Amino acid sequence: MSLAEPAALPVATSAAPRLHVLKRFAAGFKASLPAYLLLLPSLIFLALFTYGAMGRVFIDALYQRTTPKAPVRFVGLDNVSAVLADPAFTGAVVNNLIYAVGTAIPSIGLALLFALALARTNAVTSALRAALFLPVLIPMVAASALFLFIFLPNVGLLDYNIGRLLPVLPNWLGDPDIALSAIMVITIWKNAGYYMLFFLAGLQAVPEDVMEAAHLDGAGPFQRLRYIILPELKPTFLFVTVIATLNAVTQVDHVFVLTQGGPSNSTNLVLFYIYQQAVEHYDVGKASAATLLTLAALMGLTALSFRTLANREGGP
Amino acid sequence: MLLSRRLMLGLAIAGTMAGALAFPALAGEGPTEIDLFFPVPVDGKLARDMGTLIKEFNETHPEVKATAVYTGSYDDTLIKTRAAIKAGKPPSAVIMSANFLLDMQIENELTNLDSLIAADGTTKEKFLGQFFPALQGNAVINRSVYGVPFHNSTPLLYINADKAKEAGLDPTKPPQTWAELTDWAKKLTRREGDKVTQWGIAIPCAYDYCGWMMETLTMSNGGRYYNEEFGGEVYYDTPSMLGALSWWNDLIAKHKVHPPGATPGPAVSTSFISGNAAMMMLSTGSLTYVRDNAKFNYKVAFIPRNVRNAVPIGGASLIIPAGLEADKQKAAWTLIKWMTSPEKSAWWSRATGYFAPNMAAYKTPDMVDFLNKNPDAKTAVEQLDVAKPWFATYKTVPVRKNLEDEVMLVLNGKKQPKDALAAAQKAADETLKPYNAETSLKLP
Repeated sequence: MSLAEPAALPVATSAAPRLHVLKRFAAGFKASLPAYLLLLPSLIFLALFTYGAMGRVFIDALYQRTTPKAPVRFVGLDNVSAVLADPAFTGAVVNNLIYAVGTAIPSIGLALLFALALARTNAVTSALRAALFLPVLIPMVAASALFLFIFLPNVGLLDYNIGRLLPVLPNWLGDPDIALSAIMVITIWKNAGYYMLFFLAGLQAVPEDVMEAAHLDGAGPFQRLRYIILPELKPTFLFVTVIATLNAVTQVDHVFVLTQGGPSNSTNLVLFYIYQQAVEHYDVGKASAATLLTLAALMGLTALSFRTLANREGGP
Repeated sequence: MLLSRRLMLGLAIAGTMAGALAFPALAGEGPTEIDLFFPVPVDGKLARDMGTLIKEFNETHPEVKATAVYTGSYDDTLIKTRAAIKAGKPPSAVIMSANFLLDMQIENELTNLDSLIAADGTTKEKFLGQFFPALQGNAVINRSVYGVPFHNSTPLLYINADKAKEAGLDPTKPPQTWAELTDWAKKLTRREGDKVTQWGIAIPCAYDYCGWMMETLTMSNGGRYYNEEFGGEVYYDTPSMLGALSWWNDLIAKHKVHPPGATPGPAVSTSFISGNAAMMMLSTGSLTYVRDNAKFNYKVAFIPRNVRNAVPIGGASLIIPAGLEADKQKAAWTLIKWMTSPEKSAWWSRATGYFAPNMAAYKTPDMVDFLNKNPDAKTAVEQLDVAKPWFATYKTVPVRKNLEDEVMLVLNGKKQPKDALAAAQKAADETLKPYNAETSLKLP
């Protein structure tokens, strides 16, 4: 491989100051060349599989192919408006919002509770931490398959045990009113232990001397929590919230395994909708348009959270 | 010294590996390697049985090396096959749900098998003549052969004979009409106060199964589900389907003898096996599973009628995707003929519960012996006399889901059958619109 030598650069010899700048640039480039070379593989993959794919999606979203006999036509933004007019898509967005809020708040709340309860390290808390972290290690597909047996109507583990106490046995995954909540339970169960880790780390960072001072000043446990621990955990909260929101949009394995978006689209999430358009309806244009909309929403959300993080004194 | 010795060792290993890699290329005449995609849509140990079958094929056919690749449900198998075709690496053969063939043919994804049949020195009529006539509707498109029936099914009524006797019913005279079935279901339902401890009947409703069950009920109610000749029309908003869905709904809402909500197939079979449901409608594909696991006497019967005895075909055919090299196509054809031969399809039928599509399979000594011991395996074959093709349209899966989503709402008491079917028809018409615009509505 021939590397770009400074001499190969088009250099304007007459302009001395510019030459100086170029020379400095060349020298700087030469010095950091190994770093660029080391970055190159990741750059290639990023370009190929992220930006390339994004560009492709952008182009695909502008075209429409209906039947194999009909030619592929340029339709501009028709796909985007078709997606926005599709009740299945708007339904999936609503489901996803419910799912995001309904999984983020309980799992973060539980994670904080676990972290506070298990902050001190001893044999008992270590064992409990490990137990709470265990669901994180189980792949989502395996966990979902496990819950399939728990949720089976009439004969499943859940109905078999608590069903005797209920007047009517719910069909956990077969009732459109309940199915989404059932799926949310799995996510909460799985994520709480994961977020607990961040809170445990955050608690380590609470300054010992401040806590001691508060103790000496007569602050009770609740006051210490309210005025010292929670404010100190703010960056952790923010970070975990971002992760939980992104998870809510990117996790879809359990929908695949448990309900396939049903019954009657009640558990259809945005990502699953995109998949359905692409592979079941064979409609690449509409799938790409939905992807673009999702991408825009996620990028907006990420930009917002980064700004909030950056604006914070001291940063995360 | 050490370094150079290491270097030499490395070179030697590298040389050997390069030689090994180059060898098949030099020799040129290795076995043709082909992939077979196969789904497991019902209960049981089908994946293990498939391994046994393919191992035997490879041992008896040294010129071909087939690999069986498990691809999930019928719907998943379609998706994975399409993804492989799009990626330019189609599998050489696929056990494909019989009702997806039309959709795939419309999308130009299937190899027309006519020339392979002709190359064997036989005719289409002779080739198809091996299989039960009821199966040909899902294998032949526009008078060309696109699929070879491999394992097929009909829905059956499974009855817990012990519970029937307890309830004073005669399991040797199973219900033949919907009225009788309703009556049986009422007598077989056990309650403690308001709580049901034993359901009279359970019918599965999950994506794929739900549509098949709706077709079953609609057919025995005198109707048809779709236009068998043309892929652009479905008949959801019709009296025959309304009657079918209303009866299913009545079992839940009025008679309270069927568990409410949409219940997947495995939940229904588990309910039946555990004694929680005394009767169920399920594919004959689950028969071996029931035979192996039921700790009680059971009986299988025809699907009862309201207007006429009729059931849809289920199960799968072997297909060859489009875009394969000639040698792989030939190897796949060898595999397909072997798998659908009387002996092999009979063996597979005994292993799974599916019936063997090849009529000669029932004349093999092993099968005659087996049927004498297990007369329940005859029911599906006898029911073939009244069997009709399985639902198949352009974009089969979405069109089917248009109906299934609405049926699920009805079974959950969220919608009335009439409104649900009108909505389903509207949604399906919308899905089929582009195809109709290119075909039936494209006027000269």
